[in-house]
Amino acid sequence: MKLQEHPFFKKIIKDAWSYWTGAILLAVLNVALFAFSGHPWGITTPFSYWGAWVFKALGGQPENWVYFQNPSHAKALEQNIFTNAGSIQNIGIILGALLATLLASQFKIKKIKSYKQVIAAVLGGLLMGYGARIAFGCNIGAYFSGIASMSLHGWVWAAFALIGAWIGSKLLVKYFM
Amino acid sequence: MAEYRLDCLGEACPVPLLKTQKEMEKLKVGDVLIVEIDHSCAMKNVPEWARNMGYNVEIEEVDDGQWEVYIEKTK
Repeated sequence: MKLQEHPFFKKIIKDAWSYWTGAILLAVLNVALFAFSGHPWGITTPFSYWGAWVFKALGGQPENWVYFQNPSHAKALEQNIFTNAGSIQNIGIILGALLATLLASQFKIKKIKSYKQVIAAVLGGLLMGYGARIAFGCNIGAYFSGIASMSLHGWVWAAFALIGAWIGSKLLVKYFM
Repeated sequence: MAEYRLDCLGEACPVPLLKTQKEMEKLKVGDVLIVEIDHSCAMKNVPEWARNMGYNVEIEEVDDGQWEVYIEKTK
């Protein structure tokens, strides 16, 4: 039997895992990360560092910004993409996702179907990035890790994400259907 | 017993599912809709919805990361 036809290969490598499997793994790994590093999982804060490092390399002075007066952000400015823990985790997400899609032989460079997709992607990216900063975190750092830390802010985040998703789905039907 | 194609290549969730739902409404009983998909999460929700509706569903992987979902309108 070819490896690709083995039922275990199909179940583990090829097919999508169930939501339950994903949820349990995420919870266990987040607990492990918290136990080892003292910080629950977050994604967008290191991205703000990536941006600041690039800006700094180009001669900018992000250390003067209000955002980088916060001690942990200020400390991160002195680090780089390979020495900041969150930054390494983000590289891990990108490489891990690439590995998973390659193992399943599902890697594909998708075509851009219409200019509307480009506008929506750019606008959506900007809104998500801006929103994640003023909400002190994204759906991982503020929502997932917030609720897991028994913090009220995660639930507040969830309530507003629901409103946002409702508006987003109306816009999606209006412009993409 | 007509066969129709729905090109959802390059389209992200939930657009393929919404388009499939809309397209299936137009079909007559016995007709088949072939949905072309290259977004792996649509591979989960499109067949799932069609099976819940009681339609016959078959999936074919036509290329790396590209599928055709055959949905037969049974009622």
